[in-house]
Amino acid sequence: MANERAPKAEAVWERRDLLTGCQAVAEAVRLADVDVIAAYPIRPYTEVMDAISKLIADGQLDAEYVIADSEHSQFEIVKHASSVNARTFAGSSGTGWCYGLEALVVTATDRLPVLYLVGNRALDDPGAFGVEHNDAMMVRDVGFLLCWVTTPQEALEHVLIGYRVAEDKGVQMPMAIAMDGAFLTHSQHMVDIPSLGTVRRYLRRYDLSKRRMHPDNPISIAPQVNEDWVMELRRQNWEAARSARTVIKEAYREFNGVFGDRYTNPFFTEFMTEDAETILIGLGTVAAPGRTAVTRLRAIGEKVGYVSMRWFRPFPTEELRACLGRFRSIGVIDRDFAHGSPDDGGILMEEVRSTLYPLDNRPVVVDFIAGLGGRDISISDCMAMFRLTQQAASQAGMDGFVKWIGLRE
Amino acid sequence: MIRRVEINYRGVFQKRLAKKIGGDVVRIASQMGKVGFSNGRYSDAPERSGIPSKYFAFVSSDLSEEELEAECGAELDIDQADVSIVLDDTLVKGVEPWAWSGIRPINENLRDGGTLVVVTRRTHEDLLKHIPGKPRGWRLATYEGSQSFSGMWVFRDDFTHERTLGAIAAAAPDVMTIEAVEACLNNRHPNDPTRAEAARRAFDEVVEKMKTVVVGTGVESKEAAIVLPKWFEFGEGTVVAAVPRGFEMRPSGQSRNQQYKRGTTRSQRPIIRFDLCTKCALCWLECPDESFDPVPDGLYDVNYTYCVGCGKCAQVCPVQECIVMIDELEFDDESSPWETFSKDRHAYVTWAEDKKSLGRLIHSYVPGSADPQTVKGERIPPKHG
Repeated sequence: MANERAPKAEAVWERRDLLTGCQAVAEAVRLADVDVIAAYPIRPYTEVMDAISKLIADGQLDAEYVIADSEHSQFEIVKHASSVNARTFAGSSGTGWCYGLEALVVTATDRLPVLYLVGNRALDDPGAFGVEHNDAMMVRDVGFLLCWVTTPQEALEHVLIGYRVAEDKGVQMPMAIAMDGAFLTHSQHMVDIPSLGTVRRYLRRYDLSKRRMHPDNPISIAPQVNEDWVMELRRQNWEAARSARTVIKEAYREFNGVFGDRYTNPFFTEFMTEDAETILIGLGTVAAPGRTAVTRLRAIGEKVGYVSMRWFRPFPTEELRACLGRFRSIGVIDRDFAHGSPDDGGILMEEVRSTLYPLDNRPVVVDFIAGLGGRDISISDCMAMFRLTQQAASQAGMDGFVKWIGLRE
Repeated sequence: MIRRVEINYRGVFQKRLAKKIGGDVVRIASQMGKVGFSNGRYSDAPERSGIPSKYFAFVSSDLSEEELEAECGAELDIDQADVSIVLDDTLVKGVEPWAWSGIRPINENLRDGGTLVVVTRRTHEDLLKHIPGKPRGWRLATYEGSQSFSGMWVFRDDFTHERTLGAIAAAAPDVMTIEAVEACLNNRHPNDPTRAEAARRAFDEVVEKMKTVVVGTGVESKEAAIVLPKWFEFGEGTVVAAVPRGFEMRPSGQSRNQQYKRGTTRSQRPIIRFDLCTKCALCWLECPDESFDPVPDGLYDVNYTYCVGCGKCAQVCPVQECIVMIDELEFDDESSPWETFSKDRHAYVTWAEDKKSLGRLIHSYVPGSADPQTVKGERIPPKHG
C-alpha cells in the first residue's frame, strides 16, 4: 500500500520524435490542454491547424476546434472564448494576420491572453510564401507580447512559457510566437517532448478571476467611451507590459527549475560575445548561419559574436543596452523593412539604435536588409555582413549605413 | 561530413510519401547516433498537382545540428546530393524549380559520383535517353515499381515508402545502413516483417542494378541556364505585361504566357487520332490549361509545352480511341502532332497506334487504389483512306 501511495517519479521528457516547427507547436497545444482553438488556413500556419486537428481526431486532445470563415472571425472567436476563461490558441501568417488585425488589437486592449502562432510570411503582393517578419511586426505597438523562436524544440517550449507569461495575473496580454516560414515551420527536427505531468507542474490553470465572464459573474467588457477614459486605460495596459518584463524572468526561472537549465537569458541569446568587438544581431533562424559564421571567423582569430533576439515585445531595453554597449560595431540583420523610416532601414535596427542612444560611447550600428520573402541567408552572406560591420567600426561615415544583402542588382 | 538526400516527387500526388521518406531518413540516422533534419523546397508548395517538387534529408556524424542546418537548411536548394531519389520516372525528363523559371536536368544537383535512384519499370538505357550527361561520372540505379500515389488525403501503403528507404541505404550506406532501416521498420511494425523484407529486397535490387554512368553518356541538355531579372528590370507595382492579344488558326496559334510552360508537370500525354476526330471541340473547350489550338481543317492540335497531362481531353472525347493518354517517357519532343499528321496521315496513325501499344496507362477510378495498368488497346485502322 505504501508503495502505491508514493508519488511516481515521472520523467521530465516522455519521448523524442521528429517534428516540424508547426507540429512542435501542436504538441505543445496538446500539453497545455488548450480548451478552444479557432482555425483558418493560410500557409505556412496551416500545418499547425492540420496537426492540431489530427491530435483531436486521434483522441489525444479534448478541445473545441472551430474552423472560422476568415482570420477576422477566427480571432474574434478566441477572444470571446478567452473572456469566459477558456485557454485559447489561434494563429495565421502574412496578410491573413493583417486581415484579422481589428480583432487582434481589441484582444490586446481587452487584455485577454490568447496565444497565437505567426508563421512568418511575406506580405502580398506579390503572392509569396517565404518568410518576412513584417507580418508579426504589425502587432508590435498595440499591446501584444511578441517573441521569435529558432528551433522546433524552442517553439514547443515557448508555447508553454507563452501561456505562463500571458496568463499571469499581472500581465494578461495576448501573446504571439513568431516563427520563420519554411525554415522553421516546415523543417523536420528531432524534438524532446515532455510528459503531461511535468507540464502540469509548470503551467498553472488559467484564471481570469473577477474578469471571467460568466452568469455567476455578470460583467460587461469594453463599452464605448469618450475622451475622459482612454488615456487611463492605455496607462493601465502599459503597466501590464512593464510588469511582463519581470514575469518573463520568473517564467524562465520556473521553467529551468522544472525542465532543467534550458535558458540563461530569457530575452536574447549571446554567442561568443565575451571579448567580441563586432557582433551581428538578428531574429529567428538566421541565428544558425550567423553563429556558424562566428565559429569560422573565431577560428581565424576574429573577435566576433552573435546575439539572437528572442523577445521583441516587451523590448528588453535595459538588458540589451547593457549587452550591446560593450561592442565597437553592431550589424543588425533585418528580415523586414520599415519603409520610409529613419535611414530607410529595418524595424529591428531602428529599435536597437534607439536602445543605444542614451549611452555616452555608442557602438556604430549598421543594418542589413536580408532574406526578404524567403530569400536564403547563407553562411557566406553572414561572413560578408561581419566584414562590413567590422569595416564600419573604423571607417568614418558608416554609422547608419544600410545594405541590402542578396539582392540582384 | 554531410550527406544529402534529395527526393524528387510530383506535387500533391506524392507529397506525403516524400515527407515520410525524408523524415524516416532522419529518424533512422539519429538512431545510428547521427544528427539530421529534413525539409522541402518550400515554395513548390502548396504544390500544383503534378509539378516537380523536392524533399531533402541531411545527415551528419560530426557537425552540430545547428551547423548542419546553417550549411543545408538556410539555403533553398542543394547542389551536392549524394543520393537523388526519383519517385516518378517521368521526372527524368527534367524538373522545373519553383515559379516555372525554367527546366533543369534531373541529375543537375547530384555530386560527382552521386547516385540517381529511379522507381521504374524501365531499363537504364531507356532512362538515359532522357537524362543529360554530366562533366564527371555519376551512378544510376533503379528498383522496380510504378508511381505511388500518396497525396493530401490518401496514402497508398504500397511499400514504396519502405522500399525507398532500402534503396537509399544501398546507394549511400553512410547515410544509414540497411540493418538500421530493417530495425526501424520491425520496431514500428512488430507483427509485420513484410515491410523490412520489402526494404531489403529493394536494397538488393539497387545494389544489383547500380551502374556508373561514364562521362559522355546521356543526352545534351536543351535548356539554357536560368537568368533572373534584376530589381530595376521588374514592372513597378508588381505589374506583369499581359499575354499579347491575338489568335491564328494554326499550331501554337494562340497567345500563351511564356512564363507558364507546364511540360514537366506531365507524366502522360494525350495522343490524338486526328482521322477519327468528329470536330466536336470538347477537348478544346474542356482543357483546363487551354492547350488546344484550332487549325484550318477544323481539327484541334495540342500544344505539349503547355499540356499538364491531366487527361481531361481523353475523358471528354466522345470517340473511342480518338484521344488516349500515353506514358510521357515514350516521347522525346513537343512538336505539333497535327503537323506530323498533315504531312503523312498513314505514317502518323501507325506511329500513334505503336505508341498506344507501348505505354498506354489505365488509372484506377479511385486515385491510388491500384497500380496503373499498361494495356494494349484495340488497333484502330486509319479512317477515310
